Amino acid sequence: MRKVGTPLMSKPRLTAPSRSIPLFVILLVTLAVHGPLLLMQLPSNSYDANTHMFFAGHYANHWFSPWNEKWFGGMSQTTYPPLVHQWIALFSHVFGLTGGYMFVQLIVILLLPVGMYRYALLWVPEREASYAALGTAFLGSLAMLVYQSGQLPTTAAAALTLNALPFFYSWTRDGSMLSLLKGVVISMAGAAAHHVTFLFGAVLFALPVLWLSLLDREESEQKSSSGAMLVRAVMFGIVVVASVVVVLLPYFVSLRQNPITQLPIPHGSRDNYILSPHSGMNFWIIPMGSLILAIPYILFKGSAERRLRPLLFGWYVTTLLGLGGTTPIGRLLLGRAYEVLTYERFTFWATLMALPFVGLLAARVIDRWARRGAVLLGVAAAFSCAMAVSWVVFNPINTGTLNLKPMIDFLNREEHSKYRYITLGFSNQFAKLSTYAKAGSLDGDYNSARLLPEMTTYGAAQLYNSKYFGTAGMEALRAVLKHADQYGLRYIFVHDRYYEPLLAFAGWRPTEVYDNGATELWTKDDVPPAKHIDFGNAVPPPWQGVMWGLVPIGASLLAILVVLLPDRRRYSETLEFPLPETNELPLREAN
Amino acid sequence: MNKLLPVLLIILAAALIAAATIHSSSLVPATTPEGAVRALLNQVKARDAVGAYQYVATASNTAPDDFKRDVFGQESNLRTYSSLQLFDTKVLREDDQEASVRANLEWASAVGAVRDTRDLKVVREDNSWKVIWPVQSRPKVPPQVIPVNYLRWDIVTRGLDDDWGAQNVDAPRVRIISMNPVEKDGDFILLGEIENEDTVPGFVSVAATLIGKDGQVIAQEESFDKISHVLLPKEISPFRIDFPNVSRDRIKSVHMQPNAMLVPASADPVMGVMHQALNKDARGHSVLKGELMNQSGQTVNIPHVLATFYDSAGKVIWVSDGYVDQSLAPMTPVAFSIGVRDDLASQIHSYRVTVNQYTRDRVQ
Repeated sequence: MRKVGTPLMSKPRLTAPSRSIPLFVILLVTLAVHGPLLLMQLPSNSYDANTHMFFAGHYANHWFSPWNEKWFGGMSQTTYPPLVHQWIALFSHVFGLTGGYMFVQLIVILLLPVGMYRYALLWVPEREASYAALGTAFLGSLAMLVYQSGQLPTTAAAALTLNALPFFYSWTRDGSMLSLLKGVVISMAGAAAHHVTFLFGAVLFALPVLWLSLLDREESEQKSSSGAMLVRAVMFGIVVVASVVVVLLPYFVSLRQNPITQLPIPHGSRDNYILSPHSGMNFWIIPMGSLILAIPYILFKGSAERRLRPLLFGWYVTTLLGLGGTTPIGRLLLGRAYEVLTYERFTFWATLMALPFVGLLAARVIDRWARRGAVLLGVAAAFSCAMAVSWVVFNPINTGTLNLKPMIDFLNREEHSKYRYITLGFSNQFAKLSTYAKAGSLDGDYNSARLLPEMTTYGAAQLYNSKYFGTAGMEALRAVLKHADQYGLRYIFVHDRYYEPLLAFAGWRPTEVYDNGATELWTKDDVPPAKHIDFGNAVPPPWQGVMWGLVPIGASLLAILVVLLPDRRRYSETLEFPLPETNELPLREAN
Repeated sequence: MNKLLPVLLIILAAALIAAATIHSSSLVPATTPEGAVRALLNQVKARDAVGAYQYVATASNTAPDDFKRDVFGQESNLRTYSSLQLFDTKVLREDDQEASVRANLEWASAVGAVRDTRDLKVVREDNSWKVIWPVQSRPKVPPQVIPVNYLRWDIVTRGLDDDWGAQNVDAPRVRIISMNPVEKDGDFILLGEIENEDTVPGFVSVAATLIGKDGQVIAQEESFDKISHVLLPKEISPFRIDFPNVSRDRIKSVHMQPNAMLVPASADPVMGVMHQALNKDARGHSVLKGELMNQSGQTVNIPHVLATFYDSAGKVIWVSDGYVDQSLAPMTPVAFSIGVRDDLASQIHSYRVTVNQYTRDRVQ
């Protein structure tokens, strides 16, 4: 006997959301996942974070002077797009350099789901797009880039690229000038954040979107000719390239004057991941995380639905590139650039491209298994993120942290900053030391900025890691040590005894110890004070300094402004009729 | 299409991965003498001692541990700081059962690139080719007490507040006692000797600046590791300063800059040089061969040999150097060999060998 008032339906199940997740909820979840990790300053031990803080530290003190004498005996900061560094520099006056870095990284991480939501809406319905956006917070590849690689500019450029793509789509389909403006300005900001992402990532992302807009043309009422759409796409490309050339003009001038001619430098992401399992774990398994389980779905769903095929091909090519030396495709497609690029970013882009598919899969899982499905997805997502963060913790890139304070104090004491120094065995701690030391170094952490022939002649990266580059590394170190007198190189901080024999035979003497002997200072007493090294036209003229200080940051401010401009209001909306069917009819008992 | 496409994409990915991954196993038995040497060296390059030893012939009479010590080093000698970077091989002679293969090796080491040539005998064993890799066993020195009574100079500073570089004493008096500019293969080279004329030890180096005919500086270089930096009183060291790609015609004058600084020093360890003689190596090039004997009680980890060659007039005509990849255990002779310019071999009237050293637990 049924009680009065009991619904006809069986007991209602606790269901998982069958509507899209609001964007602010997604942002809150993202903040909850990454906020504490950034508050703990986890990225400060990553590979590149200290390098970016070094660049930012220079802008904080010399906004309009891109010539930095602290690395390589002198280098131009116009060799690296400045946007992210300049934002860190601005916030460093509030939060300090490290705090500024974390704050900008947080903003970038929050921009990613917004961009993903907008990007995924091109491919999938709103609900699925919201799942895709939520997925960005848990991406293993994102966690690896942020907490292990410290590639803030790459993540920033990817977030901006994702945000620009819907405007590119809209412009190619509808010819909306406002979309063109927004798309171009956001792309400019993206290129000002990271040029490589712009050059390679934008193409990998944009071509499938262009293909999609051509496919959608056939199904829409308002038909533009495909020729017109292609012309618009080319126009977009030309305007973006022209704008980027203006925004990064000093970068291109520097590249033209000093083309990157250095020999290839080894990187684990170019390994064959099967033959080098550790590289495979680090650069593919961990970044992909639970997304590996979705690969069959991506292949079959992308093949089955014509509209998703461009995304499938884009994802497929990007994934193959992300496999580094595991396939020959990177070498074939990229040629000489293959040896210059690193491939963890391609895997990151591949995971971003996979997310719209994952949104579809998530919706299907939730529809089928409701709460259990949602829990399963949540566990898989959390697993991806947690594995990446724990991998970074349990496989630290540094075997131990160095107490840099006494060395910084030494270099800033008395007249020691009149001489130059290098470090050996310091790993990425070198960048941190150089950020706070007044003295200049002959070493540096950004290969493309090197001008000294002793360093560009050999296929080795940083001097502090010379031994890892075999003969090339040690010969580069020998070449620099041979010219110690010319360059005023007087101090060498040694944290790896491997380098002692060379220093001993080359005329250096240990003079001080730090950290109970863990680090030794070696000196060469007859070295004269460092003189300014004449790099000729590599030093940017003042107009470039002004341009570098105003235009890239201006592009980002302009991007914020134009995004706030309202889109063209639709005065008439087409309503679907009849109303779409819902899975559950609202049944009520008659009173 | 819907079902075919994913299958095609999977097959394509698998084929691409296979293309980059599948190579012939490097541990298969060698079918040629050169293959055996290459396989062995590939394993050495991969720092796989067990894998490399599989290609060592039993006729070598070399135990696995001895082989490992020989290839990968021991007692912090130079080989422990080295890894095989490159090699090339060439068959010199081959018949059904035996062959001779020359291997040119380039090691990346803590002191830079070290190049070595080995002529390896390869024999057929159990239907495959294997390499004879003899390892010279080190004589066992009986337990003994070695009294250390060499001179030692310490320096007393004013206190901890003294900045380490500020010396308020005169630098030791040093003098360049001979110098000879030569040109070779497009490089300009300054050779000579420097003497510590003082009664205290000095830490010396020699720098040189080339002035061009227009009065401008052409190049600046220094002796780097081609000198003994620590000179005891009255001790003489050769030096050599190389100026790559500088023609003698461009040079108007040379400004020499000997530098010296008072440092604490010890005459210990003393290393004797024995049985030195000019010879030809396997390739027919002139070499100076000999043996080093550590007469002290502590192992010298990395010896560095400097040889000065004189003509009949007593003029320095060449300075060459070489690192020895074996450590010097007390009272145990170790062979060395350093290259000599073939074109000068006939002019060499006499030579003098000095030995630098790096001892891991005692850096001067």
